[in-house]
Amino acid sequence: MPVLEVTGLSKRFGEVQALSNISFSVEAGEILGYLGPNGAGKTTTLRAILRLVHADAGVVRLFRDSTNRAAIRANVGYLPGELRLYGDMTARSLLDYFARYRPDRPPVLRGMLLKSFEVDDRILSQRVKFLSQGTRQKLGLIIAMQHDPELLLLDEPTLGFDPLVQQTFQEMLSHFAHRGRAIVLSSHILSEVEALCGRVAILRSGEIVGIEAVESLRQRMVRRLEIRVRGSIPVGLIRAAGVVRSSVSGNEAVLWLQGNINPVLRCVAGLEVEKFVFPEPALEDIFLSYYQPRQEIHV
Amino acid sequence: MFNLALHIARRHALFLVVSMCLLAGFQYLLCVVVSTVNLGAAIEEITKSLPPAVQSLMSEQFFYGLSTRGILAFGWNHPIALALGAAVGIVLAARAIAGEVESGGMELLLSQPLSRSQYLVTQCLLALGVLAIVSFAGIIGTMLGQKVFRLELFGLKSLLKLTISFFLLQSSLFAFTLALSVFGRESGHVATAGFLFALISYLIHVIGRMWSKAAFLLPYSLYNYYSAQAALIDDRLAWKSIAVFVGVFFFSVGFAMWRFVRRDIP
Repeated sequence: MPVLEVTGLSKRFGEVQALSNISFSVEAGEILGYLGPNGAGKTTTLRAILRLVHADAGVVRLFRDSTNRAAIRANVGYLPGELRLYGDMTARSLLDYFARYRPDRPPVLRGMLLKSFEVDDRILSQRVKFLSQGTRQKLGLIIAMQHDPELLLLDEPTLGFDPLVQQTFQEMLSHFAHRGRAIVLSSHILSEVEALCGRVAILRSGEIVGIEAVESLRQRMVRRLEIRVRGSIPVGLIRAAGVVRSSVSGNEAVLWLQGNINPVLRCVAGLEVEKFVFPEPALEDIFLSYYQPRQEIHV
Repeated sequence: MFNLALHIARRHALFLVVSMCLLAGFQYLLCVVVSTVNLGAAIEEITKSLPPAVQSLMSEQFFYGLSTRGILAFGWNHPIALALGAAVGIVLAARAIAGEVESGGMELLLSQPLSRSQYLVTQCLLALGVLAIVSFAGIIGTMLGQKVFRLELFGLKSLLKLTISFFLLQSSLFAFTLALSVFGRESGHVATAGFLFALISYLIHVIGRMWSKAAFLLPYSLYNYYSAQAALIDDRLAWKSIAVFVGVFFFSVGFAMWRFVRRDIP
């Protein structure tokens, strides 16, 4: 049974079509990645789910309820993308303040979250305006999660986190999902979504271009390989299975690979390689997989 | 709602305490001046050199014959007292929505189990409470000054009528500014618009009183329905004035509510 069901959501801001016929659902225990570049409409979608933004069309059902009564939101945790907290309050009073909005749902997870994020008493007694961006982000996450909500909506949650805290965050989110909580994780960082999510909805210019399991996304994903060899680039490399697009300039080539990369590696094994760069896939590489036909460019 | 009200009250506490002290202090100061200087005679001297229209306005409408009670009543009609009262209502209204959007807190706040109507009603109730307290603070300043300097006291009923009249005027300004605040994203802009409205309304009132050809404008000024002298000297509070203030308040708050529940955040 879906915890969150979004059907045909559309929103226009003046001339800009921010969302166009967005539909997806999230089950209990699932982490759905909501992936897209900046300005794709991720934040607008989350705001529309909470009715902070009024959609022009479409239906949002939270826990099978489309009325958006305030009481429904007691079961939801939300971390805004542009998190701004009351700077004059201490961290502790801030957490207490937001906890008091849910008298029926005490902040049962607060202790665990504080410990995991290493937010100690010294930090809790400081005013928020004196805390670092990363610590404020931690507080935002604790506000969203402390009452153990059944649905978590997180908009770019790891902004300002160092890699260690990101690791902690990922562990915490996995633990949360294992306990049957549904999570929508909006991000423009592919690796983060890849590491955490079972399914990914890919958003571009206000439209969902695909919703897929992460595994099939990996298969579909187009990755970029830069190579320079002594001599010239052999035609066999460009024509190898898995190469969907290539650009050759003298003894250098950029190949876009999809699926199994072993045929390409076998070709490369026979060459004298001067440069071999196979970076982490970027978000744009995913979009290529949806739009680009096989293409060869020779310079 | 109590949680929110407490939070707002804490955030504005310093501003409110300062406003209360300033209003009470101003009224007290007027008692000091009245008791130490023969203000009536001084003003009479000054007004002799003024044109007849201004003379009659000052002596009859503003100073009520330049009696001690009349000058004390004028303290409640003085631009400083009116500006202090207006500042509280206007600033509270500007911060209520535009200020919260500007600070970025509104998004997180409205994602809590708190409806927009609850939010707005809480803001209104809190503002009404604060404006009542500020009005009382000013009255206490007057009463204290009269006691300390053994000036002729106003009746309690008169003081109550003045409090109601002053409170209703400031509540109307709060409500009008709130109706502007639902469109705003910056509290400074909204507060400026609110102050401009209050200033224009006040100027219309003054010009309408001084210049008979502009008298037709008087019903369009909020300040036309507020008279400290009528409450303190004549012990009178017109039902029409109450009706106008209450009407402006409910119409503005109703409009603000209608707009706020439809507004996209931020």
